[in-house]
Amino acid sequence: MTTETLTAPSNAVAARRRRTFGSDVSASGEPAQWALGGALALGIVLIAGFLLLVFWNGVATFFPKPIVALTLTDGSTIAGPIRRSEEFRVPPNELASLPPPVQALIRDDGGMAERQLIQIGNFDLYNEDFRWVPSYLVAGASRPRDLVLMERLEWGPFVGRVKQVVEDGRPLADGDPLPTGLDAVHRKARDRWQQIRRIERGDIGVVNHDIDGIRLEVRRLELRHGPDHERVVAARRAAEPELARLRTQYDTLAAEARRLRQEDARTTITLADTGGREKSMRLSEITRFVPANDLSLLGALGVYFDRWGEFLADEPREANTEGGVMPAIFGTFVMTLMMVLVVAPFGVLTALYLREYARQGRIVAIVRISVNNLAGVPSIVYGVFGVGFFAYLVGGSIDQWFYAERLPSPTFGTGGILWASLTLALLTVPVVIVATEEALSAVPRSVREGSLACGASKWQTIKYIVLPRALPGIMTGLILAMARGAGEVAPLMLVGVVKLAPELPMDGFFPFIHLERSFMHLGFHIYDVGFQSRNSEAGKPMVFVTTMLLIGLIFVMNLAAIVIRNRLKRKFVGAQF
Amino acid sequence: MNRNLLGVAVVAAGLMATPTFAQGVDPKLPTYRAVSGVSGNLKSIGSDTLNNLMTLWTEGFRAAYPNVQIEIEGKGSSTAPPALIAGTSNFGPMSRPMRAAESDEFQKKFGYKPAVVRAAVDALAVYVHKDNPIRCLSLQQVDAIFSKARKGGGTKDLVRWGDVGLTGEWADKPISLYGRNSASGTYGYFKEVALFNGDYKDSVKEQPGSSTVVQGVASDKFAMGYSGVGYKTADVRSVPISAREGRTCFDATAENAYAGDYPISRFLYIYVNKNPNQAFEPVRAEFIRFIYSRQGQEAVVKDGYFPVTADLAAQDLKDLGITVGSGS
Repeated sequence: MTTETLTAPSNAVAARRRRTFGSDVSASGEPAQWALGGALALGIVLIAGFLLLVFWNGVATFFPKPIVALTLTDGSTIAGPIRRSEEFRVPPNELASLPPPVQALIRDDGGMAERQLIQIGNFDLYNEDFRWVPSYLVAGASRPRDLVLMERLEWGPFVGRVKQVVEDGRPLADGDPLPTGLDAVHRKARDRWQQIRRIERGDIGVVNHDIDGIRLEVRRLELRHGPDHERVVAARRAAEPELARLRTQYDTLAAEARRLRQEDARTTITLADTGGREKSMRLSEITRFVPANDLSLLGALGVYFDRWGEFLADEPREANTEGGVMPAIFGTFVMTLMMVLVVAPFGVLTALYLREYARQGRIVAIVRISVNNLAGVPSIVYGVFGVGFFAYLVGGSIDQWFYAERLPSPTFGTGGILWASLTLALLTVPVVIVATEEALSAVPRSVREGSLACGASKWQTIKYIVLPRALPGIMTGLILAMARGAGEVAPLMLVGVVKLAPELPMDGFFPFIHLERSFMHLGFHIYDVGFQSRNSEAGKPMVFVTTMLLIGLIFVMNLAAIVIRNRLKRKFVGAQF
Repeated sequence: MNRNLLGVAVVAAGLMATPTFAQGVDPKLPTYRAVSGVSGNLKSIGSDTLNNLMTLWTEGFRAAYPNVQIEIEGKGSSTAPPALIAGTSNFGPMSRPMRAAESDEFQKKFGYKPAVVRAAVDALAVYVHKDNPIRCLSLQQVDAIFSKARKGGGTKDLVRWGDVGLTGEWADKPISLYGRNSASGTYGYFKEVALFNGDYKDSVKEQPGSSTVVQGVASDKFAMGYSGVGYKTADVRSVPISAREGRTCFDATAENAYAGDYPISRFLYIYVNKNPNQAFEPVRAEFIRFIYSRQGQEAVVKDGYFPVTADLAAQDLKDLGITVGSGS
């Protein structure tokens, strides 16, 4: 355009017209600006919308909802928190069975009516936990103060009234709405229950661990020398008194647990649903009383945070639909950390060689392309590789050499947290290599040359000049790898994630970190609760809360890495020329 | 094979006073009492239908034996036999009986057949959206809806709700189909019984879990899907099924499953590696005794399945060489 204007000044007018018509817009880049801005806006809206959806559903889950008691037109009553409501078209045959004035009302609404999903609870009495109630069947609704939602260890929540609480044979005096002194008695019952659990899990666990250790020691000798060798016989004889001592210890502990259980059984509670059906149980089986209609805002917030506390710190119950997710948080955290520990040196060393030492040529180019392509391999393929190579081949061999006394039950020859971390490390190593290479190539040539000119060797230059400057970029790669690794589920299902892991991968028994153990993972927990649990309706809020938690965990881990990176950056900013 | 086994249950149930089954477990089942000397580690690999149930049993069992460690992995019934054969698991829960090929493979390695525990009764329900007015379907209709082979003898492919007799807004809407993936025992069993071994239509949306099928049907007004009855929610309805065109339709309830009236009911199995010439080690024997106790069968009810009868429990325990109520 400019050349035209210069070469043909006589046509300046026409040229200007053409210019204003065609060139101004593209020259100022307005369409591109709009497109770029639009793409960014779309991205932000999608991400914000997704986060909003998760947080909106997740944050409100634990807040106690009012319990509504509905009297139905047939005289029966049901009660429970309202989960959601919707409009629906009344089926013709049902419409015909309704009284004429109701029919007319529905006809006026175009045949539509409203219905509400009530969480009626009491699964042991009703065999269902949720029920849809059309509004035309409701004769009256109220929120009685004495209706309580009770969270239980088994069978899900109970919605109803507290009839009677008996402590050690003495009934508590009636109160409003809960019996007086219930709080203290309940706390005592729960403490006792915790104590039983401590004995059974902790103390008895230690005894069993010791017994198992002795058994394995004898078995190891048996395998080495044959079952009738004198050393085996001697070891067996030597183990006898120790075993006897442990068994007595076990008996004492078990008796103590039994005594506590009997004591526990003497404090009972009788509940009644709105229809008057009663149910008795031990008081310690109830984890929480939520008199939702009688709560002040402060009380409601108390319940809210108490539930959060349980969710974060407790073990799951009832096939993972209730209780907490502590083992899953722990498993996710430990696995991601181990993955970073493996992937960081592995990826950085590879990139260092590729960028600094290898002669840039066809082979290096092929290697580089292959690494980039690795990032596109579906993650489930890594899972298959992990279970085939790590678990079965490497793990199987380790078992045969070092853990023969435990066979046929595998130690390392099955999925475990070590194999899961290694598989994820493989999965994320391309990210780290690419990021590290970028960071290394961004270190100015002049800096390297300066260092070499001062007489430093190549390795000294890399160690003291290049690496420190590339570190922030390398950290960025690690952060990306960590985020990808922590959110990955598919390959983990093959290499060690389980629905319910009986033990954490870290505990108080030597060697404290048990890399062979299978573990629980937040991502898998989401999949399990959302898609595998019996009651998907009850599981849905838990899915949102767990998702929120997983996002939060990744956010915190990333934040930590970013803070470290920024400190490093600042450290080297001053040292630059 | 399955129906023959259920026949046994029918006889067993017939001997009992049937009305006691409403929701509770057979009162003749013994209450479980812990015995001493039980410890060890157990691992279960198999059906995802039984995943929750295994977890519930584990929780109950661990209350009695805090020292026992049990790990559960559930990725589908087909994963159970290889794990049992490789010795990586102690229990192989399956929602269908082991195929001859799988059991032969096992026998080749160990020289005897795997032992089986019939742990619970499940009815496969055909689910529709809660607003769906359909009252009854015959097995032939179900076959013609889900299968392209129509081996059940249906004459006409059923694709729209109008084809099964619905009117109004439903008549011209296509039936949207949901089902399980092929690793699942539910997939295999439904194919065997409801599809008469014919192939599924390509339009069946395969889901990774039983609960996903129910959620799919709940969110899709014109949907139909099959899953275990335990996964029912308030958003879906199970359709009563008749064994043949024109017969009475029966809903998927415990009574109908026991009586053999509901045509798609099955046992849920747990396979174990047991040498017939040796006794069980205590921990596995006690776990099986726990399953057949009142607490164990209460867990079955809790998970939405139907408990087995005391007679069947006694029969299976005898076959496995476990003495009934040795601990009580």
